[in-house]
Amino acid sequence: MTKTFAELKFPGRLIAVEGLDGSGKSTQIYLLKRWMEWQGLKVFFSEWNSSDIVKAATSKGKKRELLSPTTFSLIHATDFADRYERQLVPLLRAGYIVLCDRFIFTAFARDVVRGCPPEWVRGIYNFAALPDLTFFFKADLDVSLNRILDGRPQLKYFEAGMDLRLSSDPYESFRIFQGRILEQYLAMSTEFKFLVLDANQPIEAQQSVVRELIASRIDLAAFATEVSHAHRASPRPAELMPAAPAKV
Amino acid sequence: MVTDKRPKSRKSSNGPIVVPERTPRRFYGHGVPNVELNRLAGRLIVVEGADGSGRSTQIAMLTRWLEGNGHATAQVGLKRSTLVSEELDQAKKGNILSRTTLSLFYATDFADQLENSILPALKAGFIVLADRYTYTLMARDLVRGMDQAWLENLYSIALVPDAVFYLKVSPEILVQRNFAKDFGLDYWESGMDLGLSRDMFDSFMKYQALMAAQFERLQTTYGFSIIDGDRSAEEINLELQQKTEQVLARKREAKAGAPSRAP
Repeated sequence: MTKTFAELKFPGRLIAVEGLDGSGKSTQIYLLKRWMEWQGLKVFFSEWNSSDIVKAATSKGKKRELLSPTTFSLIHATDFADRYERQLVPLLRAGYIVLCDRFIFTAFARDVVRGCPPEWVRGIYNFAALPDLTFFFKADLDVSLNRILDGRPQLKYFEAGMDLRLSSDPYESFRIFQGRILEQYLAMSTEFKFLVLDANQPIEAQQSVVRELIASRIDLAAFATEVSHAHRASPRPAELMPAAPAKV
Repeated sequence: MVTDKRPKSRKSSNGPIVVPERTPRRFYGHGVPNVELNRLAGRLIVVEGADGSGRSTQIAMLTRWLEGNGHATAQVGLKRSTLVSEELDQAKKGNILSRTTLSLFYATDFADQLENSILPALKAGFIVLADRYTYTLMARDLVRGMDQAWLENLYSIALVPDAVFYLKVSPEILVQRNFAKDFGLDYWESGMDLGLSRDMFDSFMKYQALMAAQFERLQTTYGFSIIDGDRSAEEINLELQQKTEQVLARKREAKAGAPSRAP
């Protein structure tokens, strides 16, 4: 699909964050969620690879190193489809702001680096509408690598791209793999109108840019929960009375 | 059954053993990465048909006949992958997955078996007998209203088989065979998720008719051999043996025979 949820006339809006592991995108989307909750907005957060039903199979496949580029791609697409059809679409129909930590672009970048044909991957995900806003957190490769490698020295097999046989050293493999993913991201940046953020900046500086961009493009007040809306704005019965006959 | 009239196998196991030539191979489309097609020997033979159409009986008979004639065989089928078969079973029991999800789950199962069973067996020169292939998966999804172009892209990873035998059985006979086997009808094989009818018998008849119609549509694209499945198991198998013999004898250059045209 080449349309956003707004273009498809959904009352809700979907905001996605993309970037390499260690780009700080999860921190940014978490702060975004807190900001929206603070304002009493209807907001829902969804993470890549988190569907209950599919996750068991995915983690088994990863643990036992059973996944090929094709099945890696398909099992993540299954996970995405489950969340998309059972959660995201209904919530967007109900007028929620949905925040996604990674969206289809993660698959477009990763699966292609793993050797899946780009048209095949894009074809599989074409049941999904595009996000209304996509933030891409662009950090220098070394910065994101160090964030991951400093904090968590034990790299997982697929995370390090070891299945690609780029290097027998997991750290070296991870570096090459992430570098290739970054190339893929940058290549699709214009096509999918990524809002590119400088992820080398301090957390607060990035967050304020993100909040400004969202506030300028989405009428956030329209997404207030019914309760707080009623609390703030509902007229008292006395005020309501005279207006009622006029509608008839 | 009158044993005297029972047709015999086409060839005794004592004749010379046919060594199949390596014939050109291709995927329907994009294929899967990291496969050297020219290293695939063997043959891929698919048997399609509804539950109760006699697929497993036919495959068992074909296996016996092939092995008797000196060919190593391997059997694959849907929902048998190490990767997701258990999870798929669980999900189906609760009927909790939406259609795109279920479709992709089945595709994952298929891809896993393609890469880990079918392709390695072919590489080793086995005759692979597939109890259903991508066509059943596509037909099921088409009946449920999914987009054909989307499905064709999804299954463009599939290897083009050397033959596809579609056992065509009338719904009336199918329903009798299902009762004879289990004294009941399967929820999914009756298409109960579609809400065609609250009556399971009605739903089964309607669903199987819809499936047959989709198979007929797919036949024009993929060129299955349609096998009259209303006959006795022995009669059907004799025809399958004859057709399999042709597949085994196929020459490197041969372009004759079934489903090698692109969709």
